[in-house]
Amino acid sequence: MGADPVVGVTGDRLVGVAIVDDHPVVVEGVRAWLASEPRLTVLATGDDPDEVLRAAPDADVVLLDLRLHGRMALDKLAELSATGRRVVVYSEHTDPGTMLAALDAGAVAFLAKHEGREHCVATVLAAASDRPYVPPALAGAMVGDPRPDRPMLSDKEREALLLWFQSMSKASVARRMRISEHTVKQYVDRARIKYTRAGRPAATKAALLARAIEDGLVRPEEIGIYRSQATHDRPTP
Amino acid sequence: MSADLGASAERIRTRKVRIPGPPGPADGSTPPEPAVLAAPAAVAHASDRGARIVAVAIALAWHVAIGLPAVLAMRTQFTAPTVVLGGWILVAVTGAVAGVRLLRGAPLPPWPLAGLLLAVDAAVFAAVGERQLFAAANWVWGTLGWFFVLALWGRRVSGLVALLTTHALIALAAVLAHGPGAADLARYTMYVYGTFSLPVAVFVGSAVIVGLARERAAAAAAMHTLAAERAAAERSRQERRDRLALVGAAAGRVLGELAAGEVDPDDPEAQRRCVLAAARLRRLIAESDDVPDPLLHELRAAADLAERNGLPIDLIAIGTPPPLPVQIRRRLADPLTGLLADARGWARLTVVSGPDEVVVSLVTPDREGPDATGPPPGEHDDGPVQHLYERDGDIRWAQTRWLG
Repeated sequence: MGADPVVGVTGDRLVGVAIVDDHPVVVEGVRAWLASEPRLTVLATGDDPDEVLRAAPDADVVLLDLRLHGRMALDKLAELSATGRRVVVYSEHTDPGTMLAALDAGAVAFLAKHEGREHCVATVLAAASDRPYVPPALAGAMVGDPRPDRPMLSDKEREALLLWFQSMSKASVARRMRISEHTVKQYVDRARIKYTRAGRPAATKAALLARAIEDGLVRPEEIGIYRSQATHDRPTP
Repeated sequence: MSADLGASAERIRTRKVRIPGPPGPADGSTPPEPAVLAAPAAVAHASDRGARIVAVAIALAWHVAIGLPAVLAMRTQFTAPTVVLGGWILVAVTGAVAGVRLLRGAPLPPWPLAGLLLAVDAAVFAAVGERQLFAAANWVWGTLGWFFVLALWGRRVSGLVALLTTHALIALAAVLAHGPGAADLARYTMYVYGTFSLPVAVFVGSAVIVGLARERAAAAAAMHTLAAERAAAERSRQERRDRLALVGAAAGRVLGELAAGEVDPDDPEAQRRCVLAAARLRRLIAESDDVPDPLLHELRAAADLAERNGLPIDLIAIGTPPPLPVQIRRRLADPLTGLLADARGWARLTVVSGPDEVVVSLVTPDREGPDATGPPPGEHDDGPVQHLYERDGDIRWAQTRWLG
């Protein structure tokens, strides 16, 4: 429900995906989800990020289970993101602190394991083209971010995140806010782009930001100072 | 998944054992810490009250039982009997008032009282005459030190020592004025020692006893708190284990039947059981009562009830609600828990809290038919809480929002 169709983002080329998870049954489940989308192909799977990426050096997107062999793989995530690997973190650990830490470390997106096939496919497709995708659980973490240095979101961006988190339906959010679904997505994505400035710099964050500017989602001058966002509340065309 | 779940439960358990504070009362309206801190203070207060009664009793008993008969017997022998007797009456009245006020916990201002006592001291020494200087009839020797104790109760001992020293100097002046012999000076020294030692001992002793009582009570209270915490942590751990066992068994049964081919994955009933088991497992992983927040507690109770009735429900709380008055909590939770009872299919209950905003939302699938129990659609305010309810054909969406 509510997942966005991602249209023509990668042209005709297949998107190669690597899956890193230490539970074979989950790997098989995710593989089955991704198989439903013809633009995606799984190149390698395994429980060790380095081995998986040696097997599939050209993978466009890495789906990484954040908890590998009982350890949170945040440092590995940061290392991969710094080198420009598009990592989509997926985990059943959906406490907001963990999700925000994953964004700070450079994850392109965070997906809760229970969020299902539609969100998984949409997230991977968006990540492959350096575009943001915010599943509801991540929207909740962003809207409830208690950190004093959190990115400054506009009222509309906050409201869109909150309602998306609550309802998991962009159509319902659009009706409630009396705007189009497209605009709802813009508010949510713009909030996500502001998060590219939180935490340490990473190549993936720069790529997200560059693509957002290219797409006209944000203007470069909007990204410099978050405080000014409160006054720029209209969606970019 | 099962290994992760185990690890997660372990993590939560370890966190639970380290809960910093004792568990709050069910409605959480009063934080528990003050009660814990109050216990040692109450014990210290009781102990101090005992010492005060002793000090007041000594001062007044000495003044009346020993001072008064001697003064009355020797009243003709004084240089100025009116001054000696008047001083006695003045100190008796002032001492009684000071004693009563001290026992009621509202002592008279110490330094004016001390000044009055010293003035009486000097007047009596001047009026008592040479022959009665060291006799029992010179009541200021024996009595005044105890009234100093009453005047300066609860203050530092140095004040008492200063008063007693002044008292000794006044006495010395009186002794020297009469041209004393060696025996007089020896007697003077003895008297000064006598007037110093007992009041100072009682004064210091009572302070030490009160301090010890407070410490012991604090230690006992800390141990009780620790024991209560341990019991609460143990209980919640046990509850969690029981729930995990229950939920795990239910999930295991469905999986077992699916694996054995006894149940068809296409069977809607089997799918419903899977969804319910997954929702329960998810909640078990996500929820913990580490923060004993009453609003979340109420919502969890409502979610538990709905879940027992077979409704797969997600309850996701982000942030910790600030302490809210019970009326606000009711206005936030009640409309949604009411709707939850009527929900079919699935439900998603979310709470997003910040220091000055709490938003609770319930989303369930919209059903055909008249809305028997739902509130009127639209937005309205219930005091400081905003209510919103709408059906859009896909979902029913109720939201309550408090803005601080």
